[in-house]
Amino acid sequence: MGEVDVDGTEVTVSEHEPSTTTSDKPAPGADVEVRIAASPAHLSVVRAVAADLAMRADFTLDAISDLKMAVDEACSELISRSVPDGDLVCRFSVEGEQIHFAAEAATTTVVPPSRESFGWRVLTALTDSVNTWVVPGPGGGHVLRFDLVKKRADDVVGL
Amino acid sequence: MTQSSERATNDYAHLDPVLAELAGLDADDPRRTELRDRLVTEFLPVAQHIARRFGQRGEPHDDLVQVATVGLISAIDRFDPTRGSDFLSFAVPTIMGEVRRHFRDTSWSVRVPRRLKELHLAITGATNELSQHLGRAPTPSELATHLGITKDEVYEGLEASNAYRSSSLDELLVGTDKSVSLGDALGDDDPELMGVENREALQPLLQQLPERERTIILLRFFGNLTQTQIADRIGISQMHVSRLLARTLVDLRKGLLSE
Repeated sequence: MGEVDVDGTEVTVSEHEPSTTTSDKPAPGADVEVRIAASPAHLSVVRAVAADLAMRADFTLDAISDLKMAVDEACSELISRSVPDGDLVCRFSVEGEQIHFAAEAATTTVVPPSRESFGWRVLTALTDSVNTWVVPGPGGGHVLRFDLVKKRADDVVGL
Repeated sequence: MTQSSERATNDYAHLDPVLAELAGLDADDPRRTELRDRLVTEFLPVAQHIARRFGQRGEPHDDLVQVATVGLISAIDRFDPTRGSDFLSFAVPTIMGEVRRHFRDTSWSVRVPRRLKELHLAITGATNELSQHLGRAPTPSELATHLGITKDEVYEGLEASNAYRSSSLDELLVGTDKSVSLGDALGDDDPELMGVENREALQPLLQQLPERERTIILLRFFGNLTQTQIADRIGISQMHVSRLLARTLVDLRKGLLSE
């Protein structure tokens, strides 16, 4: 499902599991995996990793900052829906001109975040592609996933 | 302080009639500019003196003089001689307040070595310059090439920037310029918010934001401008836009959660 952004870039938006991703394995070629207790107190660690990877992958300053905020937003959403004492697992892969971020947490609900929410608006504005979906988890529970891609530079038109 | 004020009062007594004249002019009187300029120039040593008192705290002296001068100008504009107090006893606290505000708004939140402060300043300057040239934000390697330093040094400087609350004095000066109306950037009704399901909760939160933060949020998430484009439009640095955006998003998220 695609939407054309105001600046002309295609933002992929989906609530469904993308067919190209193997859902029960880490993203292929995951460079860095961070596991934290699903608590806002540890969010800064994930943000710092995001910013550092993007900086060293020579992303533009805009893209570094966007990725950092997008990761923050996705993780905040996951933390707010996490089961008590749950974990948040984040995986980063630097793939050429883009960084792929995948994160998941066990949740109590089967309903993924709404596409009409402000948070979703923020995520689509900050990333080149974003997906979120729910898969069955261990013990009859549910796991909410976020999957997003940020490119090295924006295709800027008319500054 | 009392002593120097008294001495200063004598030094500047000849300006009292000028102050009275300025205060008596209509807001659109063409002579205002001339009188105001003269007063700013003549009282400048007061601003410089206060800036020196705040020296040795890690802020560049020139910046402090500029901030103190902003305070002086606002004191000249607001001074009312009919209230009976003399100008300096009104101006000195006003100027000191401006300088204190500068330290609060634009200082390092943790102790950062001088070398990193200079690196931060150099990177901020180079970012502005390269953004103009490239039409987008630069990358660390472009900054390194431009500044003739290594990429590792750029990384260090960017990390140090996280400890800074604001990037440049220019931002403060732009912030006090009434001619820049941020409200003009977007209409009042925020039609962009239509289609956001929790806009009933979001709208009041946005309205509570300072105008600049609100404008930045709307331009970034509803106008789809990049941070660099917003920085250009509003006249602050990209790094400052980045900081304001991140901070405001956290506040909005908290506000929406508490609904």
